[in-house]
Amino acid sequence: MGREFFPQARFDEDRGSKGVAVNMEGAPWSPRVARLGLIILLVFALIEGRLWSMQAIDGGRYLELSEQNRLRDYKVPAPRGVIYDRRGHPMVTNRPAFTVGVLPMEVSNPQGLATLLAPMLGVERDEMLARLEAGRVRPFEPVALRRDVPKSAVMTVEERRLDLPGVIVQAEPVREYLLGGLGTHALGYLGEITEEELRSRPQYRAGDLIGKSGVERTYDTHLRGENGRLRVEVDAAGRPVRVLSRKSSRPGHSLVLNIDANLQEIAEKGLRGRTGAVVVMDPRNGEVLALASAPTFDPGLFSGGISPADWRRLTSDRRLPLMNRSVESTYEPGSVFKMVTGLAALGEGVARRDSRFECTGSLQLGRWVFRDLVAHGTVNFIKGTAVSCNVMFWQLGRALGEARLEHYARALGLGRVTGIDLPGEATGLVPSAAWKQRVWKEPWYPGDTLNMSIGQGFVLTTPVQIARMVGAVATGGKLARPHLARRVLSPDGTEVMAFGREIEDAPLTLTPAAVHAMREGMRAVVEGGTGAAAAVPGMTIAGKTGSAENPRGIPHAWFAGYAPVEDPALVVVVFVEHGRRGGEVAAPIARALFEAARPLLVPHPEGLVRP
Amino acid sequence: MRARWLREVDWVLISSTVLLAAFGVVALISARGGSAEAASSFLRARALHLALGALVMVALAATDYRQLAGPWQVIYAGTLLLLASVLVLGDTRMGAQRWIALGAFGGFQPSEIAKLALVITIARHLEGVKSLPRLRSLFPFALHIAVPAALIVRQPDLGTALVLLAVLAAVLYVAGARAQDLAGVAAAGAIAAPFLWRLLHDYQRRRLSAFLDPGADPLGAGYALIQSKIAVGSGQIFGKGLFAGTQSVLRFIPEQHTDFVFTVVGEELGLAGATLLLGLYLVWLWRALRIAEGARDRLGALVATGIAAMVAFHVVVNVGMTVGLMPVTGIPLPLVSHGGTAIITTLAGTGMLLSIHLRRRPGS
Repeated sequence: MGREFFPQARFDEDRGSKGVAVNMEGAPWSPRVARLGLIILLVFALIEGRLWSMQAIDGGRYLELSEQNRLRDYKVPAPRGVIYDRRGHPMVTNRPAFTVGVLPMEVSNPQGLATLLAPMLGVERDEMLARLEAGRVRPFEPVALRRDVPKSAVMTVEERRLDLPGVIVQAEPVREYLLGGLGTHALGYLGEITEEELRSRPQYRAGDLIGKSGVERTYDTHLRGENGRLRVEVDAAGRPVRVLSRKSSRPGHSLVLNIDANLQEIAEKGLRGRTGAVVVMDPRNGEVLALASAPTFDPGLFSGGISPADWRRLTSDRRLPLMNRSVESTYEPGSVFKMVTGLAALGEGVARRDSRFECTGSLQLGRWVFRDLVAHGTVNFIKGTAVSCNVMFWQLGRALGEARLEHYARALGLGRVTGIDLPGEATGLVPSAAWKQRVWKEPWYPGDTLNMSIGQGFVLTTPVQIARMVGAVATGGKLARPHLARRVLSPDGTEVMAFGREIEDAPLTLTPAAVHAMREGMRAVVEGGTGAAAAVPGMTIAGKTGSAENPRGIPHAWFAGYAPVEDPALVVVVFVEHGRRGGEVAAPIARALFEAARPLLVPHPEGLVRP
Repeated sequence: MRARWLREVDWVLISSTVLLAAFGVVALISARGGSAEAASSFLRARALHLALGALVMVALAATDYRQLAGPWQVIYAGTLLLLASVLVLGDTRMGAQRWIALGAFGGFQPSEIAKLALVITIARHLEGVKSLPRLRSLFPFALHIAVPAALIVRQPDLGTALVLLAVLAAVLYVAGARAQDLAGVAAAGAIAAPFLWRLLHDYQRRRLSAFLDPGADPLGAGYALIQSKIAVGSGQIFGKGLFAGTQSVLRFIPEQHTDFVFTVVGEELGLAGATLLLGLYLVWLWRALRIAEGARDRLGALVATGIAAMVAFHVVVNVGMTVGLMPVTGIPLPLVSHGGTAIITTLAGTGMLLSIHLRRRPGS
């Protein structure tokens, strides 16, 4: 039986401690604390003994184990989502392929390996070495040396496995482009993620493929899915011994686009052999039905990771095939801009439908004479628009002044991005006196206003901006955000996301009369004016041609129009670099598109006919 | 006055604490890839944890431990409430609800704070108890710990619950419980084990079975154990050199900056480094127990004992786990494993030890 404890107690009669070792304070708990310390010391000694036996005695064996202890994490790549057109035709799918890679950590003789392996894979030896070196920052991450390796090469690698330490062969699906490579620029291509991209994307891993352009980039996170992992133990020769753990991959979501493959094909056919761009859009909701850019390139080159030689060829091509001209390039809009001038003049009461203008073929401005090619005589607003009379638009521009022109241009969406769901959209430029002073250190001259009123001088636009602008003219001031994506579907086909319309009202007060007069003028363009080549029998089409002078040679050709006039459902913008005259080169391409789209132009509350 | 303060403070305890924290920073850098850059976000967090912990330590050292927050029943109730709240609104990380999210600070693990709070409450609870003559007299104290331990097991956090039992045993022993009674309680626990086994979560059972036979399931729970033994063993006498571990590449050993941080020390600094680290813990524990012996009253002795037992158990179980002497439980290595609440709790405990030490003589 223990005695009670007090700090004053002189001794402790607990069994197990006879004759108490009293500490300096003589506290009764002291011996027990000491014994507790002894227990702790013993346990520590036990652990120390264990460490001794593991590290000093068996250390050599463990060291050997640690050196042979080769784990490999194989990425099990998730199949990337399929991309469909609006009718459900697959545009991009995947096909099975092999990737040959290497674990930098296991390569002791990179020179020798490259000498042996490069010819097997048909890669440049130096390129292979460069890739290997680049991968050294992550010694345990496999570096892909070549994707989409032919079967025969895979066999060769497998046969020589013992001479190729650290080399791994993995199944990795690659992109396959159907429909003859339609929509290359809209779809975009894939490439290996760069260090810089990796920094802002923690959920990606080195060596991952990522969309580099087009919707492949915009919707990469939806399309990519989630890679699985296979952790494998391998022997010294790198042969798998057993699978340690397995995490299945989750396939990516598929993407349904608003693109209509048929229209896309016609757009691309029209541009064949030329340099230019086509945008076809539903102005009521911003759905992009076709988006083309020429010259184009073979996206299949990127399927297995593009070879440096091909990459050099594409990037050094003076015609810039990789550039998506419909959104990334800016051009002088030329006479297409007269829509802005005309609408501003009507909106501001500077001109009415029946206002008369004298066209002598030139306009005197102080000491300067602005000359047009033709003297149209007396024209009213409609006629002046139909024949694209520069003199009339100069007069309108002069009466409006640059500030009002600028205001209308901006209100119709020029000078800023449209917000289309594609990377790299250019903003274009709407000049102003302040801008000129800042950039050119010069005042704004009246001549600048005249140039601006016919879309020359400083104004720069992208084809997709023009499409949105035409849409706004067509709908009486509704700026729709163009978008290619229609729906995101999970692998089992359920809808994950749907992209609806995003409409913004142009900050203008347009009287119905003004809108109507502008439309009438544009309709006259197609019905006997400069854009007659765009006319389709039985369809009402309004539009505007343009031939944009530019410092680089022959003028660019534009056609921008919409149909049907009474219920606009389709905007077509065609641009041909150095095509000379819009009416001759661009309008026929537009006609083919209007014609092909005719079955689509059935009135529907929500836009075009659903797939 | 101030000069006396400086003379009276236990500098050995403070030095060993600082050295352990420094060891922890080096091990963290290595576990996160061997460069300060790669570990930068972790280092920033660690600096914050250590700074906060140091503040708490100083504040507690300056506070008379006898003044700590009201009657023990209040602290006790608060602790239970906190533990229960985790089960309700806890943030699930790595499959266990151990965290309560705290906005910018990230979150904290109530079970860590609970350990320290319970050391205080059990010491207070025992303070007035004159004797523990029979097995039966241990019951209220066993219950005192069993309730929060059960809540913690539900989180599930088996390791922390075991820490509480170890603290209970140590404190009861120092308070005068008879060794055979404690042995009886342990025996009762052993008999109850099969029943408790059924309370455990699947993964906890897997870990325990993996401990008994790591080869049986090398892919799952046994895997980390095999790998960590290889890491520690392959360090041999002097290690592979700082930041030169090959096992230490994160993929081999999961959670290496937290629960398995000792493998970094073992592999890169070898037996020498591991012994040095254990030596530092021993110095710390020796001071803690000296403070318990020299405390002016039962309360101080019991609190100091509880804190020492807590840290000792952490070290033994964590290191024991990496060398295959103990089952794999998520118990951090004090001041070395990454985890804010654990670091701050350990430093808070150190502050209480300093407080007990400063007031060891009547009138001081």
